[in-house]
Amino acid sequence: MLFHPDLLEIPADGSPPYLKGYRCRACGQLDFPKLTPCPNCWGEEFEVVPLSRTGKLYAATDIFIGQGGMKPPYSFGYVDLPENLRIFSQLEGEIGSFHCDDVVELTVGTIRIDSDGTPIISYKFEKVSG
Amino acid sequence: MKPQRDVYIAGVGETKFGKQRLEFDALGRIAALAALKSSNIDRPDIIESAYVGNATNGLVTGQTVLKDLGMCGHMPIINVESACSAGGMAVHLAVREVACGLSEVSLAIGCENHSLHMQSGTAFAPAMTDIETMHGAVMTGKYALRAQRYMYETGAKPEDLALITVKNRRHATNNPYAWFKGEISVEEVVNSRMVASPLTLQQCCGVADGAGAVVVCSERMVRKLGVDKPIGVAATVVRSGPYHNRPRDITGDDITEACAQQLYEQAGIGPDEVDIIELHDAFTISELLYYECLGLCGKGEGLRYLHDGNATHGGKCVISPRGGMLSYGHPIGASGAAQIAACVKQMRNECPGYQVDPAPRIAMTHVTGGGLSGTEHAACTMHMLVRP
Repeated sequence: MLFHPDLLEIPADGSPPYLKGYRCRACGQLDFPKLTPCPNCWGEEFEVVPLSRTGKLYAATDIFIGQGGMKPPYSFGYVDLPENLRIFSQLEGEIGSFHCDDVVELTVGTIRIDSDGTPIISYKFEKVSG
Repeated sequence: MKPQRDVYIAGVGETKFGKQRLEFDALGRIAALAALKSSNIDRPDIIESAYVGNATNGLVTGQTVLKDLGMCGHMPIINVESACSAGGMAVHLAVREVACGLSEVSLAIGCENHSLHMQSGTAFAPAMTDIETMHGAVMTGKYALRAQRYMYETGAKPEDLALITVKNRRHATNNPYAWFKGEISVEEVVNSRMVASPLTLQQCCGVADGAGAVVVCSERMVRKLGVDKPIGVAATVVRSGPYHNRPRDITGDDITEACAQQLYEQAGIGPDEVDIIELHDAFTISELLYYECLGLCGKGEGLRYLHDGNATHGGKCVISPRGGMLSYGHPIGASGAAQIAACVKQMRNECPGYQVDPAPRIAMTHVTGGGLSGTEHAACTMHMLVRP
């Protein structure tokens, strides 16, 4: 089950998934995630802008004692996108392999298992191969 | 705020921190009674209002604490929640209450019991409605990100961070209210179980239970109660954390920097004049960053400030003289009030075995709260205390 349709688009035609930025039609401010109304001008109409699929890992950590209901170890970090947005994201890949300023790209995966056993799907980032 | 009239702390109390079998309300009463007795208050109706900080123990926590003390009915009891800042914020509100002349005597309490309620082997997360929490965030990890970036930019090593634990545990050695205390080596700190890289178990505050309480009153009441050593409140500031989903420098802390600046201006006291500080050392990295954010040293100079012995007895400013959260543990709604209680006892020369010498004249407290996405912290509460 997709965590939230406002965050992530997984196109049906098989083209790559993307994060959905929201540009306020009144003042032009671009936000992710969607903030309603626009915190800058209280505008309520937004244009959906596909965000860059690659960004730079500002910082990352490996979690060995996690949230209740989540199985450690897992990794997360802040990914800075060229659109001047910072995304908090789980990281897909080997524990211990993430470093500041790594280039990472968007992927889709399970971020947690719901209390009834349903996998929750959302965005993640992984290191750019090669 | 700078108080509109002089406001004093008449008395304080704290419980021993650690894993407690007593529920939050019983802990709150122990701290409150100690604070009331040390203020020469011998009956419930002298108190005119109460602010009770608690984060996770449910509804009407203040009334639950105070009904057994005969303090329900004649006065307002206001319950205060702002995650880790709740206890500090309760004191802030009691100071406001007295500063504005609404009460002559107000009681502030911070109390929390986690261990009776929390699943063991798990870490604190921001609220489950938060987007970062849904994506796996835990508070340990959010501070670990700050540590990773700080180490990346400054070349600091985990062994450097570990020195904070070593220092604070040493400060707490003879403090009967502290939980983890005494000598611990850098090796033991860095080799303890990894929690959120690079933060190991001994670099994280314990999940603890406890309470602190502060009696705040006017100058007239100080005289009426015959309080021996009143401590003045020179300024108290609460701020909310700016929201920004943009790249920013997390080796700084915008809310702490703004809060400290406002506190210094309102108190008319600069960072160089402060004798002791209890700050939000929930993790080793946070204390190190806050040296810089509080203006005790320049940006990027925190590690040198520590290495040069400035943050301990005999240094420029004794930081975490009670042992900090790294020794007490961190019952989140309690810590802010307990920090103030500990500072007042230091200023009154009432800390045998862990007393700062000479007894400090100026003390500062700092407690942040809440890992809301897009903010460094949702709240920050600071106090500047002065011995007249």
